[in-house]
Amino acid sequence: MLPAYEELVAWLPELLAGLTISLQVAALSLLFGMPLGLLLALGVIARSRILKTVSLVLVEIGRGAPALVLLQFIYFGLPATGLTLGSFTAAVVALAWNTGAYTSEIIRASLQSIPRGQRDAAEAIGLTGVDELRYVLLPQALRVALPPLLGFSILIFQGTSLCFTIALPELVSRAYEIGSGTFRYFPVLLAAGCLYAAVSVPAAILVGHVEKRAGRYAER
Amino acid sequence: MDGAVLYLADPPQSSQDRSNGGIMMEQGSNGTVIRLRALSKHFGAHTVLDAIDLDVRPGEVLAIIGPSGSGKSTLLRCINYLERPDGGTITIGPTTIDASMPVERAELSKLRRRVGMVFQSFNLFPHMTVLRNVSIAQERVLGRSRAEAEERAMQLLSRVGLADKAGQHPGRCSGGQQQRIAIARALALDPEVMLFDEPTSALDPELGLEVLAVMRELADSGMTMIVVTHEMGFAENVSDTVMMMADGDIVEKGSSNQVMRQPQQERTKRFLRAVHDR
Amino acid sequence: MSQADIFVILRGLPWTVALTLGAFLIGSIVAVPLLAARESQFLPLRLFAMSLIQVVRGIPPLLWLFIIFFGLGMSYFPISPFVAALTGLGLIAAANMAEIYRGALKSIHHGQWEAANALDLGRLSTVAFIIAPQALRVALPSAASYLIGLMKETAVASTIGVAELAFQGNRLSQLTFQGLEVFAVVGLLYVVLSLPVAWLSRSADAYLRSKVAA
Repeated sequence: MLPAYEELVAWLPELLAGLTISLQVAALSLLFGMPLGLLLALGVIARSRILKTVSLVLVEIGRGAPALVLLQFIYFGLPATGLTLGSFTAAVVALAWNTGAYTSEIIRASLQSIPRGQRDAAEAIGLTGVDELRYVLLPQALRVALPPLLGFSILIFQGTSLCFTIALPELVSRAYEIGSGTFRYFPVLLAAGCLYAAVSVPAAILVGHVEKRAGRYAER
Repeated sequence: MDGAVLYLADPPQSSQDRSNGGIMMEQGSNGTVIRLRALSKHFGAHTVLDAIDLDVRPGEVLAIIGPSGSGKSTLLRCINYLERPDGGTITIGPTTIDASMPVERAELSKLRRRVGMVFQSFNLFPHMTVLRNVSIAQERVLGRSRAEAEERAMQLLSRVGLADKAGQHPGRCSGGQQQRIAIARALALDPEVMLFDEPTSALDPELGLEVLAVMRELADSGMTMIVVTHEMGFAENVSDTVMMMADGDIVEKGSSNQVMRQPQQERTKRFLRAVHDR
Repeated sequence: MSQADIFVILRGLPWTVALTLGAFLIGSIVAVPLLAARESQFLPLRLFAMSLIQVVRGIPPLLWLFIIFFGLGMSYFPISPFVAALTGLGLIAAANMAEIYRGALKSIHHGQWEAANALDLGRLSTVAFIIAPQALRVALPSAASYLIGLMKETAVASTIGVAELAFQGNRLSQLTFQGLEVFAVVGLLYVVLSLPVAWLSRSADAYLRSKVAA
């Protein structure tokens, strides 16, 4: 059942190339998605009715629909509007949207977790609304949000596996291709699984530590 | 103008001198720093503030006492608009705000610049150093340079005896130290009035003393102060005027001697007895 | 998109619901022994459960389904797409529910354990009669939001040919070349499906809260 040594040696370059693409898609999705999440979080709590509605709709769809459906909507659906994206770009757009929607909720919750007194004090010393956000609320909120944001980053890395369905040559696609060529599905998929776990498990343990430290910080 | 002069140049006076009133620096229109007229606040059907009228003279130290839920903290929070009143007017120096009209944040900023506020739970910014806590508003609100703001912040920290804490974060300081830093922060905008919302209630008695000492020094330097407090010693010995509140109303107001030693109203007598019996 | 097209998509609904509820049920049950092992006094068992949970969560759901359906099914013993999806998602749900139960257990004040010890209840009775009832209430909101997450996760079953919502949408979009509308409708259906769960969770939480308060 397990892959033979020669097999592993033969497959590994291919699988690692796939992993690289998975990591690239994840990194770019987070790079664009998290600032989007911040903007959406501010949009949802904004006073402007239009801004609020647009942000809410983007958040509700981005979280409410499965990432797989978002991905297929962007890749297979958008061309009807004349906008055709390559599979890499479509993957980043869909996962960045998904990231933005989830992180906006994380950031909003952390903003709401800041004690009322901080806002009182910021207002009492005459800070403007923007300054209050920039100097008082956001620095504290982002500290609270850090562990869940890191945890979500692992999920997005795993979510890149969905790009198999839009023919992006990431890790699962490569493993599947090797499998259908050699009919050695189980060993090659297992090898791919090990590569995912080799990234996700240490990352999850790390996030656990950050969480504990953040908890201690909050108790002080 | 160098803000430090405002506090440090005034020779200390006893509270008795100042309670004669009128003789202090004339300011505003009628010799008042704060003038409230018919200030009202409701939460649903519950009246928290019932058309409060109040005048505070320059240099006056006014203590507000009363049972919890009497509206004293709300009154304080309404004065700098942390709580939005439903009606009435607030005049601070030349600025008047009509609570029945919508107010721009810029207008509020002008009001708040004249008023410093100290909270029961300190509300220092935990992610900033002590120095930054005191300098940030000077930079962002008054437009001072960083160097200028930090120099002034150091002066204020020395004044409350905490210059050595400048580089630390507030979490490392005791409650009493935190409250003294909060006082320095509130002084940083050179306010004309300082509001204190139960500044020692969250502190052990011993730590409360060091805060009260700073407040007394501030009062002696001529600062106009409104202090919501449970410290009867402060009301009796430091303040010029004491105001007793209950159920959103002013029960009685007079010189600290009179209200604390010969209260006229039954409600005040009952409250003071209850406090002393504890 | 015609009304008939929507009916085509809706044909996937029973599969989505069955997969969601089935995997959730499996997960909620298997999570109990898994958690017991995770909290066991016996170190090897504890380490085994801990690594199992980490590894299950460390591999993407889509790849789990592939390992089960293509890896095991194609080579060792034939397995239907639905059973493969149910097994894979059930496994993942078990690991996640074990973590949710654990979080809830940890949130119970240690005074409750001490009080039970003082009454000389055994470990098993303490958990069964004192801790678990309180922990379940704490776990309910997390479990409900996990159920909604799991429902969206079932969309990956389309990749191994389970005829659920995303699968129907995919097929229809290839037939009609109207991917934009089709995937929009499918996405919306998932949002709509999550509403009753969210509502139920809120009312159950409110009910339990009132019972505890009374």
